[in-house]
Amino acid sequence: MLKSPDWHLLIVWYFFLGGIAGGAYFTAAIADNFGSSRDRGVVRTGYILSLLMIGVCGMLLILDLGTPSRFLNMMKAFKFWDPMSIGAWMLGVFGAFAFVSSALSLSADESRAGLRRKISLVGTVFGFFLASYTGVLLSATALPFWSDARLMGALFLASGASTGMAAISLLLYLSGESAGEGFKKIKRADRFAIVFEMAVLALFLILLGSAGAPLTSGPLAPLFWGGLVVAGLVVPLALDLLGGRWVPAVIPAVLILVGGFILRYVVVMTHA
Amino acid sequence: MARTLAMFTDTSLCIGCRACQVACKQWNELPMEEPEWTGSYQNHAHFTDKTYRLVRFIEKPQANGELQWLLMSDVCKHCAQAGCLDACPTGAIYRTEFGTVNINQDVCNGCRYCVSSCPFGVVSFNHDTGRANKCTFCNDRIHNGLGPACAKTCPTESIQFGFRDELAAKAEKRVAKLKEMGYSGAQLYGVDDKGPLGGLNAFFLLLDRPSTYNLPEKPLLPQRNVLVDSVLAVGSALLVGVGAVVAFRERGGKGDDHA
Repeated sequence: MLKSPDWHLLIVWYFFLGGIAGGAYFTAAIADNFGSSRDRGVVRTGYILSLLMIGVCGMLLILDLGTPSRFLNMMKAFKFWDPMSIGAWMLGVFGAFAFVSSALSLSADESRAGLRRKISLVGTVFGFFLASYTGVLLSATALPFWSDARLMGALFLASGASTGMAAISLLLYLSGESAGEGFKKIKRADRFAIVFEMAVLALFLILLGSAGAPLTSGPLAPLFWGGLVVAGLVVPLALDLLGGRWVPAVIPAVLILVGGFILRYVVVMTHA
Repeated sequence: MARTLAMFTDTSLCIGCRACQVACKQWNELPMEEPEWTGSYQNHAHFTDKTYRLVRFIEKPQANGELQWLLMSDVCKHCAQAGCLDACPTGAIYRTEFGTVNINQDVCNGCRYCVSSCPFGVVSFNHDTGRANKCTFCNDRIHNGLGPACAKTCPTESIQFGFRDELAAKAEKRVAKLKEMGYSGAQLYGVDDKGPLGGLNAFFLLLDRPSTYNLPEKPLLPQRNVLVDSVLAVGSALLVGVGAVVAFRERGGKGDDHA
């Protein structure tokens, strides 16, 4: 009886990249405000990554609309009780923060650093919002499983953190900065984020109970259990804790990213 | 604000002729859709972007082996608290001065959030126009002193149109009468403005419980949990934030050695 909004891969990618954008930004902002000069790589990579991601995110959303030429009509209303309405506005606000923080992080001028840190601290709120609001958006529909999931926003945020941090560490690795202190710290942060994400996911499933069946025992279940839980969470954590020098640090990061994509995929495609 | 208009669909009078379905298509210039076999005379299985009035044919086996045939002309409920309206991020979905709910086809950009936010599965996306649409309560007719096309055409007056308060009083009398006649399952759905969704402006008299008609027993506003869900997300953010701070902070006061 109820109707699916027919959101498919464009929206799955948007949820995934938006999570990375938010997660990378708030990680960078925290590193900026609480870390040291040795974490400069994390900071700059995080801000710029979030800026690139938000640009792509905007395009994905516009393309998914039934009438893309009217995307600016989102600006005709502001309903604070409506996740999609605030989301549309926050995307622009976050983009502005990502731009300013990125620009200031590229400047060699040290006097800008204080300003940048203050701005980024404010921007962190929008980063958190971007990573989590899409989960709240899904649970504010009438569709079963989505509407039953009180922790969807919390879970998406945890995943945004783990994938944002994994993305930063992957980029640092690829640019040859993986020997640095900043890399060690981001791995440490990601380790916590993964454990936290597992805890939130467990609580998410417990609270859902039988309403979570589409995920845990439906046609997407193998992807959920194999792709997200095992390959995307358990394995990278195990490799990170136990692998030591035998496992290139990039492998857990890639697995976390794949897991994050699969999370968004199985959740959205439950109502394909 | 003018007096609220309403449609009262008394399913005890429905003969399943589907004149309402046809009249709706004609008045709204909606095209034909390829029929699909639903297992009964019902066509189509659900509301679509081109079917706003839909007669439901429900077969309920009885204890004595006979089949009870329940007929219901279903429509957009024009809820007093409308999930579609609250979900719409462009403001395209609005309420008229008569209390009815419309989708402005000049503003809608086809995000489809409203489609998933209707507790009754009414709103549909039109792939040809790239916008969402649904029953307009014959907006042009009611602004010209006429009632909806479906109500006008119904040969048994199963679909009645009028001011909500007057129709509600009629409905209460009718359900009492039916109960007197022995229809113990007779009940009203959506009349009570203290009830679910603040009452429906298209309400019904059913001869059985709502779930028999595939209606939700107690429809709820999908946005009711936004606050709780947001607070939980904020909690998650705080914990994640603390974790990141602990991972990055410099210990032992080595001087202000910031990035």
